[in-house]
Amino acid sequence: MALRLASRRLALASAAAPAPRIFARGMASVLEHTKGEPLSTVSEALSSSTAPTPPSKTTTIKEPEPEKSSKIKTFHIYRWNPDEPSSKPKMQSYTLDLNKTGPMMLDALIRIKNEVDPTLTFRRSCREGICGSCAMNIDGVNTLACLCRIPTETTKESRIYPLPHTYVVKDLVPDLTQFYKQYKSIKPYLQRSTPPPDGREYRQSHEDRRKLDGLYECILCACCSTSCPSYWWNQEEYLGPAVLLQSYRWIADSRDEKTEQRKDALNNSMTLYRCHTILNCSRTCPKGLNPALAIAEIKKSLAFA
Amino acid sequence: MSSAPSAESMRENDAGTSILARQRLNRPVAPHLMIYKAQITWYLSGLNRITGCLLSGGFYVFGALYLVAPYIGWHLETAVLAAAFAKWPAVLKVGAKVLVALPFTFHSFNGVRHLTWDTASLIDNKKVVQTGWTVVGLTVVSAVLLAFL
Repeated sequence: MALRLASRRLALASAAAPAPRIFARGMASVLEHTKGEPLSTVSEALSSSTAPTPPSKTTTIKEPEPEKSSKIKTFHIYRWNPDEPSSKPKMQSYTLDLNKTGPMMLDALIRIKNEVDPTLTFRRSCREGICGSCAMNIDGVNTLACLCRIPTETTKESRIYPLPHTYVVKDLVPDLTQFYKQYKSIKPYLQRSTPPPDGREYRQSHEDRRKLDGLYECILCACCSTSCPSYWWNQEEYLGPAVLLQSYRWIADSRDEKTEQRKDALNNSMTLYRCHTILNCSRTCPKGLNPALAIAEIKKSLAFA
Repeated sequence: MSSAPSAESMRENDAGTSILARQRLNRPVAPHLMIYKAQITWYLSGLNRITGCLLSGGFYVFGALYLVAPYIGWHLETAVLAAAFAKWPAVLKVGAKVLVALPFTFHSFNGVRHLTWDTASLIDNKKVVQTGWTVVGLTVVSAVLLAFL
């Protein structure tokens, strides 16, 4: 991908003597913002193949009020400060007494922010697993911090990272602009031109309504999409499991009349078909949804027209 | 239904995109492969791709060499290869056969698993883990069986 982008940049730059057409070939994309100049040809991120500074080389900030009967657990949290952009990301260690902390990872993060280190930055809102703000990678798995229990074995150390392969705004805050643009691009609203037969509501049978179960409950936390290696490598053009789940939600809705157009929008090599059934998405969904199954159903409906 | 963006909104869009591009110049990319938990889902998927490349790559390389062999004085016919292999000690023979059979058996059984997914069946977390370990078991057993043929 980097080679494609680099050669494309070369081709577009040399307007006087244009490079061979193959380097300037546009990439299949239904996203308006990527038509013409994809974002990554104008900007490059610091490579994440260099790992953040490991916990052994950073300080440990200890529990503020230690007691004899305390259960001290160590947390290693990814930190990066945009106010010092040239500094490398690092893993900051914190120790907390679990007896004084709430049961969920978010409780630990809030306690650190309140009592230990107010500069720790993360998104959170509802604290009950419905808003999707606190999505992050905890102990290697993408989940919501407010729904993830702190493992009580104090011998194990917990590691908290931002959502994988996202641009980091600060500490645990990912840049989800592209994710939201991709969601907008599938037109996530009812498209219908014929008025309802009784002139009042667009009616739907119980059977048809049941088809939406397991699809409408998505809170767009981005855990699944950022757990998908295919989305890591092809974020520009592949929509990712969350957005594809939602596009299936509209394809499967009996009240929607633009099913064929919705399916046509997915009918190219990148938007849908970068899914290689890796299945990390369904494994990691904190709401128990199954994006992989929805994607399989879309592929079936496209294959059998 | 929705019309093409107007001139004003496109200019706003470009302004927004260029600000984002400038911000991203300094932002690091969050770690991925190195920190994500080892799970049967993406490990077997990666292994499927690697064994696929090994099998097809090996096939192409051998095919090309076979065609070119007469012109560079090599002999890669089955009889010659079999005679040379027969001289190896028994342990090495069985070991080499297991090593060659493993990619083939894994890719075949996992391929069947992939084909069932294409029918949208067996795609739920429990089944994925069960079928995954079944494939791993079948792979090892059948590779060892093939090695002793």
